[in-house]
Parts: sequence; structure tokens; C-alpha cells
Amino acid sequence: MDISKIEKAFKKKFPGEKVSFSADKRSIVTLRGEVGTWENLVAIGQWTAKRPEVKNVVSKLTVPGLCIPKKDYAPFKAAGEALGVTERADVVIIGAGISGCGIARELSKYSLKVLVVEKDDDVATGATKANNGNIHPGHAVTPGTLKAKLNIEGNRMYTQWAEELGFELQRSGAMGYVTRWPLKLALKYSYSKAKKNGADGAEIVSGKRARELEPGLDRCGIGPKVKAALWLPSMGLVEPYQVAVALAENAVENGVRFLFNRTVADVLTEGGQVKGVVTDKGIIEARYVINCAGIYADEISAMAGDECYTIHPRKGVIAILDKAKRPLFNCLCEHITLDEVKLNLKNTTTKGGGMCRTPEWNILMGPSAAEISDKEDLSTNPQDLAYAMGRGGDKVSYGDVIRYFAGNRPADYSEDFVIEMSPVTHGFVNVGAIQSPGLASAPAVARMVENIIRQDAKETGAPLEKKENWNPKRIPPPELRRMSWQERDELIKENPAYGRVICRCEGITEGEILAAVRSPVPPASIDAVKRRTRAGMGRCQGGFCQPRVLELLAREQGDDWTEVTLKGGNSNVLLKENRCEEKAGEVSE
Amino acid sequence: MKHIDSDIVVIGAGPAGMAAAIKARELGTEKVLVLERDTEAGGILQQCIHDGFGIHRFGRRMSGNQYAQAFADRLAELQIELKTDTMVLELTPQRTIYACNKTEGMLEIHAKAVILAMGCRERTASQVLIYGDRPAGVLTAGAVQRYINMEGYLPGKKAVILGSGDIGLIMARRMTLEGIEVEGVYEVMENPGGLTRNIVQCLDDYGIPLHLSTTVTEVHGRGRVEAVTVAQVDENRKPIPGTQRRIDCDLLVLAVGLIPENELSRTAGIEIDPRTRGPVLDNAFMTGVPGIFAAGNVAVVFDLVDYVSESGEIAARGAAEFIAGGQTSAAEYCPVLADGEVSFVVPQRIRKDCREATFFLRVKNARKTATLRCIAGDETLLKKKCMHIAPPEMLTFSTDKIKGGALTVSMEKEGEADD
Repeated sequence: MDISKIEKAFKKKFPGEKVSFSADKRSIVTLRGEVGTWENLVAIGQWTAKRPEVKNVVSKLTVPGLCIPKKDYAPFKAAGEALGVTERADVVIIGAGISGCGIARELSKYSLKVLVVEKDDDVATGATKANNGNIHPGHAVTPGTLKAKLNIEGNRMYTQWAEELGFELQRSGAMGYVTRWPLKLALKYSYSKAKKNGADGAEIVSGKRARELEPGLDRCGIGPKVKAALWLPSMGLVEPYQVAVALAENAVENGVRFLFNRTVADVLTEGGQVKGVVTDKGIIEARYVINCAGIYADEISAMAGDECYTIHPRKGVIAILDKAKRPLFNCLCEHITLDEVKLNLKNTTTKGGGMCRTPEWNILMGPSAAEISDKEDLSTNPQDLAYAMGRGGDKVSYGDVIRYFAGNRPADYSEDFVIEMSPVTHGFVNVGAIQSPGLASAPAVARMVENIIRQDAKETGAPLEKKENWNPKRIPPPELRRMSWQERDELIKENPAYGRVICRCEGITEGEILAAVRSPVPPASIDAVKRRTRAGMGRCQGGFCQPRVLELLAREQGDDWTEVTLKGGNSNVLLKENRCEEKAGEVSE
Repeated sequence: MKHIDSDIVVIGAGPAGMAAAIKARELGTEKVLVLERDTEAGGILQQCIHDGFGIHRFGRRMSGNQYAQAFADRLAELQIELKTDTMVLELTPQRTIYACNKTEGMLEIHAKAVILAMGCRERTASQVLIYGDRPAGVLTAGAVQRYINMEGYLPGKKAVILGSGDIGLIMARRMTLEGIEVEGVYEVMENPGGLTRNIVQCLDDYGIPLHLSTTVTEVHGRGRVEAVTVAQVDENRKPIPGTQRRIDCDLLVLAVGLIPENELSRTAGIEIDPRTRGPVLDNAFMTGVPGIFAAGNVAVVFDLVDYVSESGEIAARGAAEFIAGGQTSAAEYCPVLADGEVSFVVPQRIRKDCREATFFLRVKNARKTATLRCIAGDETLLKKKCMHIAPPEMLTFSTDKIKGGALTVSMEKEGEADD
């Protein structure tokens, strides 16, 4: 690979910046040096990755005066090494996001000991939970990429996932419509991309047909103005954390174990072969290590001796609106205006999400898209919220917002997924840079990783054996909000806990919370209960139900109230009892 | 599914609902049923262990619990049926109520009249646009009050309070008494949101500073709250750059306003007034849907519980009359308009045949003296001098001189616009 060509082009493109380039035999280019701003740092990485001969970019660039926080794994590693080997497994999966959970469930088909190691207290605590739940039809992805292939396959596979795992999937369809004839060109461009990628059922429809497909267009008065639309019937909507929970539960039912609150601090290798991982709670030896560490995947890969990509976090802020503000459209419906087209042309990576609805019929705005330097910075700010809200034009107002939050997309510079058995460390599988459409692609990602492992196992003389009693079905817990009054009545007669409503806003009962707490992957915090049941997700944001959820969690886990956390770690809600002087006296005496 | 027929069903057993149920029975209504989602009657008063309740009604200062107990005792004395732990899930315009509880399962209740008394809820951090992290230790004042007063736990060591409404002030004192350091109370408006007596008794007496025209803009901390950023605001309530200050604390208490809980009202198709965020009411406190009445904080957020109970009684009278009269078609209405310094008046309209009514209103600005007028056409029905009026304090008046036609309720500065 001719580095000098890149260097020459670089000088032209970024005059004044000094960066040194080096490439390995896989055409992975490493950047070193100091550059002016974080924006430039990201832009240089992206520009380099776009050179046709470059496979991916590892960026070691810094910005003088800008702190780029690095996680210090040393104390975790020391703690783990002190404990020695505590577990032996066939497969260790690092990270319990949508990719990790999907792969765990896929591998649970085989007679393998599979452990999922997660640094937080629950599944789906990273990018997965801060996702807008769109199962993209695959029209927007660059043709020819791994993303495009897995997006299309994954979208199709969701129907089976939803059936087997019992989560809500709504094939709402997606529509981009134009109200000016010249903009039909933009539709044609998108259509040809959709066709190239193989998006199911994509077609350009007339204004009349568009209004039939989406009655919301007429309800909001725009119907008669619609000239034409691109219709993508395969668009789906899910609650992303529900999918992850369903996968994890089914995986556990089939023998997988999840180890929460465990940070992987090192990957053990020996002569080009992976040997296991060092966690803060002991060493786990394993034949395969699958890296689904999301925003930290590049660091884990480096631990395995395979530094082949760099994650630069791209923050997205999402706003959830009160259900009283009814979504205008059933499908994901976007007005393709000249401004939107310009925004698309300007943002080569992503312009973020617009307005959509959740399967529970909340309007969801965003996510925004902002490059940041700190992976752990999940703070919201006025600019990002304004961007997310601004995508709704005058149709939404801040007064409708009940909650906003941020998540960081694990973007690499190649803007494609990195899924492969490491050519450096055998047995170590990268599932990295899984940003959008990572949720839509998840079933295909899981299948691809299963194939990698199965193929390798066969080649290395220890082929995988399928379990005879593998059960693909997960029976979902009752969701009373979806039931008729008669069905509810019968259920309450069976189990009176379903007759006590805990969360007023979303109508969630004690029975539903108890079912979650007693499920195969029990939630350990108030937010974890929220993700499983929706208790606290409504307009009062837990103002009324949080004490009740806390009480149930404490009771079921046998904990004191002060031990219950909002979201794991040190996020305890209550610090001490205020009626315990006598008790405290007894203890101290 | 169990079917129940009732005369008057009251949804909510707080101070409005209990007063309504008691009045309905006293007026001779036979089947009165109260549905309460909590384990006990009393509503939010259960956690209000501070005093100052019942001055108007009982002529003495009671705690919230005592006030609620007085009504609960009367409820029991009159043998009014109360279903606790019972959640209403849907209300139809035809006054069918779907509710559930543990012991009876689903209930389908047909009511001749319904009185809504669900109270209100608190605004949250997202609703007042606080940015930053989302750690544990950001709680509404009501939640803090519940944890401390009912559950017996402290949610922090050092607190910042945003909002100087009454609940914020009460909690400033309460937390101080429990050993939580209250760094200060911050108020985005240029005037305090709570009653003067609470500023004096809850902040001044304890040396807690009140920072006006200042708000919390950001929360810091990934597990628990570690600090908040406060900033002064301009006349448009936008933070002024350069005035930010970081305050270390582990608890942010939000007392940033109350919102009537009208989700059930919406299922019944009841029209909501965007200013009060409660139903549009007539002089009997009937909503736009015949036979469905509203009382207490679900109708409009009151400042004193005495008024809450009074509104319950007005609604009960209306409901009893509705049943007796069997009104089937919608009444003809005349509007009640807010003018001058009056920000809103409840009820928002009166029936054409209405001759006497009680009104509740709030003003836009604080004034030492001002004149309240209720005018019908050219005729002044009521003229009343008011002293020390302020937006947080609700005003009320009654008149029996109504002769039909629109009413205008105004508040003018003394000496101005005098005819």
C-alpha cells in the first residue's frame, strides 16, 4: 500500500495539520500526531478511511489541551488476577447489548458453555437502550457494505425473532414523500439505492396511493399536496431493550449464563490463540472470546493484540413525548424537502434520526448526532435536544417532552461493521463498530458470528454439536395493557397481583413487576425494571411509582431499601433510614 | 367481570373526593362509591405532616393527616363505600368506569354521575429542561416527602431545591429538620412561587437562602448526583452566560409545578382548558360531558386544601342535582372571562339559568391593593378591595346576583380604570 500517495493528498486536504501515517499488511492505517481540534481529528480519520485502498483506521491522534479520557483498566486487572481462574467456558461474550444477547442466544443452540460478561448491572445499558427502535428497511445504507447486507437480512429475520421470542414488532412501513415534483428525483435516487441493497417491497407510489397507505397524511392536511412517495413496507418498530431482554432470557433458558457488573480488563492470548479474559472478579478461560463491547470494542480488540479500528463516540440525544401527543403517522413518515436533501448531502455519515413513534405510540424525536471525545459522556445539552426536536418542525413542542437522554454510537472511521475472526489472535471474534443499523442487523450479525464459530470449530477439529432440547420459544410475560377487560379479569382471579396497579401512567401492575423480577434475567435496579415493564416510563417519570418499585425490588431481592439502585453501581436512591437511631445505637454499641 | 350500578362515583379519595362523597350523601344520595388507587384514603395529605391545613374550614391549624382523618372519619360514619387499592383504567362519556383491584378483579361500574378527583402530579426534570447527566438523586419534592415522611428514609445529605412553590418550601424545612443540609432554594421567576407564610416559616426561620431569577441548568454525576450548575436568568427565563455556578450536592429536589392529572378525563373526551390544564367547568363544576364533574386539583391546582374540599362540595351538589333533574342535553352556557390582571377564573362558564356561583381565580402580578370586579354587561355584580394579592395565592368570591349573560372578572390596580 502506497502511504506516500495518502500523505500527499492529506497535505492538500488538511493544510496545516501534521499527521504521520503507517499501514500494516491488512491495509489498516494508523494515524499519529497532534491536530488542531476534535472535529478535525474525526474528519481526518474519516477522510483517511475513505481512501479506496484503506481497510480501516486506527487513530492515535490527540488534540493539545483537549482531554480524551482513557479508561484505566489496571485496578480491574489487578483485582481479577489476584482471584485467579474462577471459570472455564467455551465461549465468552463481552457485552450484553443487542449484539451480545443475539449471539448468546444463537450459540445457545449448541452444547457449549457460553458466558456473557457485562460491565453494567443489566442487558442493553449502552447504545442499545438509547436507540430509537427502528428496524430499518435497508434503503439508506451504502450499497456493497457489510452493513447493507446484514441490514437487509436482519430486517427479514426479525419476523421470526418476534414470533419465537414474544416481543412486539410492528411492521409500520416507512415513507418518504415529496410535495414538489422536482424532488421526485431524490425519491428515485433513494429507490435505486433501496433496490440495489434489496430492500423488500420498495416502490415509488403516487400521491393517491401514499394517502391510502398513510391516512395520517390526510389527517394532518398535507395529503392533497403529496405528489409521490417512496414506500418501504419492511420498516419495523420495536422497543430495543425489550428485544435484548427477550434474547437474554431465551439464552438463559437454554443454558447461557450472564455475569453482570464485571469489567473485562484484559484478553489473554498465547501464541496467536485467545485463552480467555481477565475480569475484575476473576479470570475466565475460554476457547472463543467474542467482542461485543460496543463503545469499548476497540479497546478490547487492542487487548487481544488486534488493534484494527478506533471507535469515536457519536452522541445521540433522544426525546420521548407524552402519549397524549398522538403520533401523526402510523408509519415512519418523512417529508423530503430541499432542506432534508441538503442535510443528507452535507452529512456524509449520519444526520441522525427524525420523528418516529415507538410501538407503544409515544412520539420519539431524534437521535441527534454529535462527535464527542469522551466515551462516557452521556450528558444532554440544549443544542443536541434542539436538533432532535427541530426535526419535527412546528409539529412538536418542548411542552410535550417527558424525557430526554443520550447514548453514544460506537462509530469507527470506516463507517462499516467490523465482524471477523481476528487474523492476529485466533479464537477472538470482533463484533465492533455496530452502530446504526445495528439493531436492525442484529439477527444477521448473530447468524454471521454463529457461522464464524461453527466453521472454525469444524476446521479445528472440535465441531459444534446441536443441543437436542434447544427451545427457541420464549413465553412473554403478560402485558395487561394489551389485554381485554375480560382477559384481565381472568388473570387477576388467577393471580391477584395483576389487580394492583403500580405505575399509574403506563398502567403497569404489581404482577407484571413481580414477573420481571422473577424472570430468567432478573432486573437488579429500578431502571432495569422500567425497561422490562415500562413502570416509570410515563409522564410522571416514576414520581409516584418509584417508591413502590423500590419496595418490591428490595423485598424480592431480600435487600434493605438503601441497597436498591436506580441503575446499578453507586446510584442508590436512598442513603439511610431516618427512624433508626435506636437500631443504629444497638449496632454501634 | 363484576358489574356495579351506582348513583355517584367519586374517583379519588383525597380532600376533594372525600368532601364530595360526604356532601353527596348528606344531600341524600343513596349509592355513593369512592374509588381510591392508594391503600388508604387521604391522597397526598397522607404525607403532609406539616401544619397549616384547615384554617378556613375548621378554624385551626391542622396537619395534613389530621385534616384527611377528619374527612375519613366522616366518610366511615356515613357508611360511604370506599374501595381502596382500586385503579380506574377507563372512563367513558356514558359514565361507565372500568377499574380493577386485587380482590374483585375487573369492575364495570355504571354511574349516574361521576366526580373526578384524581388530584395532580409534579412536573419533572425534563419538563423544565434541566440538562446534563441522569444520576440517582434527582427527585420531585413529593417523592422526597414520601420517602422521608412515610417510608422513613433520607434520599441525600446535601440538597439543592429548584422551585419556591409551597412544596419546595415545606421540604426545605422538613429536610433541614431531618439533618439534610439545604444549600438553597432556586427560583426561575423573579417572585417566590409559594405563600408568604411559608417563605417566612420554612426558609427565613432556618436561614435557608432563596435565589430568585436563578435556575438549575445542569446535573452532574453518573451514579449519584455530585453537583448541579445554577445560572441566573434573563427576563425571558433564559440562563445568562457567565453567571453559572457549580454547587456540590447529592440531591436535587424539584418543586417546579403541578399538573392536574387529566388522563382519565381525556379518555372520556372531556375538553381541557389549556390555562388551568383542568377540564372546562360550569358553575356546578360539571365538565363538558354531561354528568361528569371535577373537583380539587384535577380541576385546577389550588393553594389551600380548604378550597379543594369546597370545590368537592360544589361538584357534589351539582351531581346530586344532575341525578334528580336527569339532565340529558347539554346546558346553554355563558362564558366567564378573565380580564386585566386576572390570569384565569374557574368555573370558565356558567349555565344560562345560573343565579349564584362561587369562583376561584389567580392574578398575574403581586399588588399591595387592587379591586376585584365581577361585571355582567353594564352591571357590576361585585366589587371588592383586595390586599396583598400575589400569583401563588388563589382568590375566591361568591355572588348571588347573576341574571344570565357573560361575566367578566377583572382585577385592577387601585385608582385605575375607576368608573
